[in-house]
Amino acid sequence: MDYKGLSEQLVKKCLKLGADEAEVYIESGRNLNIRVRNGEVETVQEAGSHGVGFRVFVQKRMAFSSCNDFSDKALENSIESAVRFAKNTTPDENNVLPDDKGITKVGMLYDPQISQIPKEKKIEMAKKVEKLAMKDTRITKSSGASYSEGEKEIFLANSNGLSKSSKISVCSYGVYVVAEKGEQKSSGGEYCSRRFFADLKPPEEIAEKAAKEAYEMLDPQMVETQKATVIFDPDVARAILGGILAAINGERVLQGRSFLAKKMNQKIASELITIIDDGTRPKGLGSKPFDGEGVPTQKRIIVDRGILKGFMYNTIVAKRAGVKSTGNASRRGFTSLPGIGAHNFYMGAGKSSCDEIIKKTEKGLLLKGVTGYGIASVSGNFSGGASGFWVENGKIAFPVRGLTIAGSAFEMLNNIDMVGDDLDLTRSFTAPTFRIKSMQIGGK
Amino acid sequence: MKFRGYFVEDIPRRKFLKMSLKGGIALAATPALMTELLSYKGSEKAGAKLTLDPQILKKTIKHALEKGGEFAEVYVENRISRSILMEESKFKSGVFALSQGAGVRVISGDKTGYAYTDDITEEKLMNAAEDASFIARGTKATGPVDLKKAKRKSFITVKLPLEGVADEKRLEVMKRANQAALDYDPKIKMASISYYDETRGRTVANSEGLLLSDELPLLFFIVQTLGVGKDTRHMGRERLSRHSGFEMFDEVSPEEVAQTCARESIAMLEAKDAPAGIMDVVMQNGWGGVLIHEAVGHPLEGDGIARKTGVFTSKMGKKVASDVFTMVDDGTLPNFRGTTNFDDEGTQMKRNVLIKDGVLMKYMTDILSAKQLKMERTGNGRRESFRYIPIPRMTNTFIEKGKDKPEDILASTKKGLYVQSLSGGSVNPITGMFNFTCREAYLIEDGKKTTPVKGATLIGSCLDVIVNVDAVGDNLAFGPGICGKGQAAEVSAGQPTVRIRGINVGGSRARR
Repeated sequence: MDYKGLSEQLVKKCLKLGADEAEVYIESGRNLNIRVRNGEVETVQEAGSHGVGFRVFVQKRMAFSSCNDFSDKALENSIESAVRFAKNTTPDENNVLPDDKGITKVGMLYDPQISQIPKEKKIEMAKKVEKLAMKDTRITKSSGASYSEGEKEIFLANSNGLSKSSKISVCSYGVYVVAEKGEQKSSGGEYCSRRFFADLKPPEEIAEKAAKEAYEMLDPQMVETQKATVIFDPDVARAILGGILAAINGERVLQGRSFLAKKMNQKIASELITIIDDGTRPKGLGSKPFDGEGVPTQKRIIVDRGILKGFMYNTIVAKRAGVKSTGNASRRGFTSLPGIGAHNFYMGAGKSSCDEIIKKTEKGLLLKGVTGYGIASVSGNFSGGASGFWVENGKIAFPVRGLTIAGSAFEMLNNIDMVGDDLDLTRSFTAPTFRIKSMQIGGK
Repeated sequence: MKFRGYFVEDIPRRKFLKMSLKGGIALAATPALMTELLSYKGSEKAGAKLTLDPQILKKTIKHALEKGGEFAEVYVENRISRSILMEESKFKSGVFALSQGAGVRVISGDKTGYAYTDDITEEKLMNAAEDASFIARGTKATGPVDLKKAKRKSFITVKLPLEGVADEKRLEVMKRANQAALDYDPKIKMASISYYDETRGRTVANSEGLLLSDELPLLFFIVQTLGVGKDTRHMGRERLSRHSGFEMFDEVSPEEVAQTCARESIAMLEAKDAPAGIMDVVMQNGWGGVLIHEAVGHPLEGDGIARKTGVFTSKMGKKVASDVFTMVDDGTLPNFRGTTNFDDEGTQMKRNVLIKDGVLMKYMTDILSAKQLKMERTGNGRRESFRYIPIPRMTNTFIEKGKDKPEDILASTKKGLYVQSLSGGSVNPITGMFNFTCREAYLIEDGKKTTPVKGATLIGSCLDVIVNVDAVGDNLAFGPGICGKGQAAEVSAGQPTVRIRGINVGGSRARR
């Protein structure tokens, strides 16, 4: 199907059916998911699908509709629903569409090879990573291994004459296993995601990490409730970054729903902290040539050595704030209006090695797992369940589980006193190992 | 993806049971569609008319089993939804979605093959059947049985059908909620009102000869309010949801939802740092039942049990909880958010007592796990949409009411944490470790609720927590939620006021 031509045609159709301005967003893709357990295939799922979203403005009132039926009648019905409902929404001068015809050159987001590799080989990969992870005698059960892949093409056109398309691919595989000892159970898992099939990590590496995560946590101990140092492993970066990302959302800032709303150009974190959002990194899992409404993406500094430097905007919210869109319109598929989101969001690397950070910690927690919502973006409060290893005199002493940690965002961010050099940019939401000097830990 | 847990999205408690039973709503037969087989009526002009010949379903099932396999199924779905957002007293957007598609599933031994298509045509269904049968190649084939229309009891009644409701009515309930929230207190600086409704048509046909169709309405109304104090901010949230017609708003007013939300926003502006460490917890009746939904419900789902990885594996018939603890999953509670007339595999909904007086009685199953475990089908095979395989999921899950008076439970607790409402939480179903975030909580001092405390975390192991429940109130209530397990499902969770001895609470100050 000529989706590009169709997207442009549908923009005209929207205008004909009563919209003053219109945007058409078409997505077409396919995916494959394989799950194996105990050396046998458990599920194979595959499908190709497509869908279209219409955003219309009628006298500066906004409405949206979507459908996955591409018959003329269904498309027309869908547009009509949006146009009709637009009469009910509140007019807003800020309701505008972008007109930037530029595209950021981002290399290597699509691998044409993925679809050429036979399904049987992908099943074998999942079986192999499971088998390798089960090799260790401490691992007693498999919770399954999986392989999945997807390809997606996006076509975006609007009534300002903008018409763009992009194509991306992603593939990943991983394994989850269980270690048991008496009545004790401990689970561990690891996976790897890449844009290119050839870049996937070898199964040995994935299997080893999954198995290690499971058996290392056997025989956990409980520690006393106390204040102590907490070292954040890269696997728990989300607990800190998630709340910051939500708090720099330009709309939440305007609404006062953010603990960072009034902190622009102020110190919010230790000077060891730099945070970046980069939509342009080649092969990046969060990279794209343009954002969810067609604005070219960029690389931006959000926090520069502790100073808050940037909020994130899409076109409408930027107009309201009196700034330019930062290319951060996000889209959760063809069924949703553009929101605001990050691309590759990460904390910059520091100078210390992970070993050195542990070595310099007299007493504290090496945090490997956090549960809960992370930093609350409105209040800045943080509280979560914690697991990992207890560190004493610069050495890992024993595993701990069932602890809690809590604090406030400013306290935590300003108390970061060491940042590791182990930043892994193949992930799209990440940080190196870093250390918070002191936090409240709940235990016995 | 690192922590492969299940979670439930944040929804505060609601006195749901009381509401739904109010006025003694009579049960009606399955609405619509039973007469006009496989022909969907869309709402307003947005609807798509879909007509599908049962012969095509039959052919698809036959083709799906040609390579081998013992079970095949076609699931056809058509969904029309509408969501409206009001924020800062403005109607920001209206979103309409029209979605249709079909999924074909083949089961062969423990293997499942699945494929779906957006286009419900014979050709595309045959292609999907071909893809789904990949896993069954070379196995012994079982011939399908002739399709026969089945009937199921209905637990959903509709007085004011959604398609007959004018958009102005929808906007009006939103305006009323917005106004009530802003009027509640000058410290309420903003309200966000979100309205969602959908009509989902389902058809299930399988190689056992089953053929079933129905149409389900769903309403979801969410109010959030921002309270701003001197140096504090708190976003309150309250939700209301049912499978019902627009009469939901006559039974619970939008103002009531907004005021409940605003009350929380204001109360929590005074919150102090929560204590840290192990303490007794009293949980108020309502949505707090999400704790056992996560901690106990997920580990009792049949898929984990069949894989022998779950914490409750081989505990059937054994004492797993305290004598006062009885837990039920009931998909038949009239018009509840977790209720349907049949699950997404066509199994009749049931009331399933999972744990009775502390003894494990039942696991929740779908067709596959029931077969693997050689147990009955409990009506828990659910899926988010035609894009997903059905898996064992909860419906309306709750702790059955006990004999204690809620006020006695509080008065007899010397020191601890009173949890008025929880946000959400998650569990690792293998280890049974769970965590929850408190939305509204207070210190208990000398048997009384005192200072409000900031969003603390509760964590523990599911096997411990149900042993440590030592008081169960007589005031069962429910709240609506969204449960995530790789795919979303509408659920409710409920409980009476209960006390749990010794939970680890994660606050930011040392306990005094």
